[in-house]
Amino acid sequence: MEYVTTKSKDVTLLEVLDRVLDKGVVISGDLVISLAEIDLIYVGLKVLISSVESMERLRGAPFASPMQEPK
Amino acid sequence: MDKIIDIDSTDEFIEEIEKIQGALPKRIDANPKNVEKGLSKLVLTLIELIRKLLEKQAMRRIDVGSLSEEEIERVGETLMKLENKMQELKVIFGLKDEELNLNLGPLGDLL
Amino acid sequence: MKISAYAVIDSNSKISDSINGLEGIGIYNIPYRDIGIVVSEGEQIQDITREHILKHEEAVEKLMESFTVLPVSFLTLFKKKDDVLLMMQEYYSYFRENLDRLRNKVEFGIKIIWPGETIKNRIIEASKKLNANVAIADNTPGKSFAMQKLEKYKIDKEFAEEADRCIALLDDFFSRFVTEKKLEKLRSDNLLLNAYYLVEKEKQGDFKEAFQRTRSTPGDLKFLLSGPWPPYNFISLTKKPSSLDYLNTKDVFTKLVNNLDLTEKNII
Repeated sequence: MEYVTTKSKDVTLLEVLDRVLDKGVVISGDLVISLAEIDLIYVGLKVLISSVESMERLRGAPFASPMQEPK
Repeated sequence: MDKIIDIDSTDEFIEEIEKIQGALPKRIDANPKNVEKGLSKLVLTLIELIRKLLEKQAMRRIDVGSLSEEEIERVGETLMKLENKMQELKVIFGLKDEELNLNLGPLGDLL
Repeated sequence: MKISAYAVIDSNSKISDSINGLEGIGIYNIPYRDIGIVVSEGEQIQDITREHILKHEEAVEKLMESFTVLPVSFLTLFKKKDDVLLMMQEYYSYFRENLDRLRNKVEFGIKIIWPGETIKNRIIEASKKLNANVAIADNTPGKSFAMQKLEKYKIDKEFAEEADRCIALLDDFFSRFVTEKKLEKLRSDNLLLNAYYLVEKEKQGDFKEAFQRTRSTPGDLKFLLSGPWPPYNFISLTKKPSSLDYLNTKDVFTKLVNNLDLTEKNII
């Protein structure tokens, strides 16, 4: 799929990611399952564990170039 | 979907947002070989937190003048030893400065 | 087959619009007492892309047009409907409270960049000048170390104080039309403020106007306003974990941090 990314769209995505990944209703416990293949599970410190490929793809999604590591 | 109502200098904001977010929460490699590393990272992060708090406490007290010259000397020596010890531990466990951190979600990073 | 959750809403009826969620599957409401949770069912998604995330968010925002919503974190999945209902039972009172508090309110985000590096350098130069005349030759290693750390501490402290002054002024302008707010100060040297504001729907216009007025005052500040968002940052669910397999360490940390004011950034 080809998508045109304008800088404003990139900022929008960053704003969305800031909210949807670990804010809002965050439910922990047995009732939330892990995805076998993607291996997304929640542990006590709310850190996501994920297979390398999915995360790399996700990191690569908003920008063509690799993300900077946070300071 | 465009939720950006108004923005000055998109490039600068992208740079700053990436710095604080990295766009994604931190992840720990679940590979069993690396689980140990994950644990040592956790432990060292907590020790580092305490060390930094002690350092800040000491500085606060020196700044308001509640420590004597001799106490300042002793505190300085202790802090120096703690910092060196921390460096040693990082080397032993093969961890870099940036790795010693915990993402607490909405609370931000621990350090 | 997995069930993905989108939002908890204040309705136990069917959703009249047909809205598509992830992978273009229709979303529907699972009622529980006088509220409901909107979900979609589908196969596991192998590769998560930005499209999935945006579709998820779009679905939540479409719901926001007709209901009060508590947006659910992305990729919250359940095996079966019974699990969803069990979860609703556990969290019902928290959901109820949040829905009542957040009715007719939306979230806006404001980020402000200031010339932090320049300001910090100015403070560092001033500090160097101040310490230039201090005799350091006969200091013990302990004292030298302490003095070095002290200088850095003072620089950071002054920098933070200047940030606080600036933020207080700005926040004062924005806050007039908000009911709740969350401020993150100096997440990086240049990101002076990352703020989330909860605004009543009918005050949106006033809030945006206040923002525009503040933004147009001359200065070296750069502004970003985004929204309206579902109230991601204003949901409070302090809850004991249902299982004892792992403690919710974040809640423990939250309590510790709130009671002792021990966050790194707060200790000056």
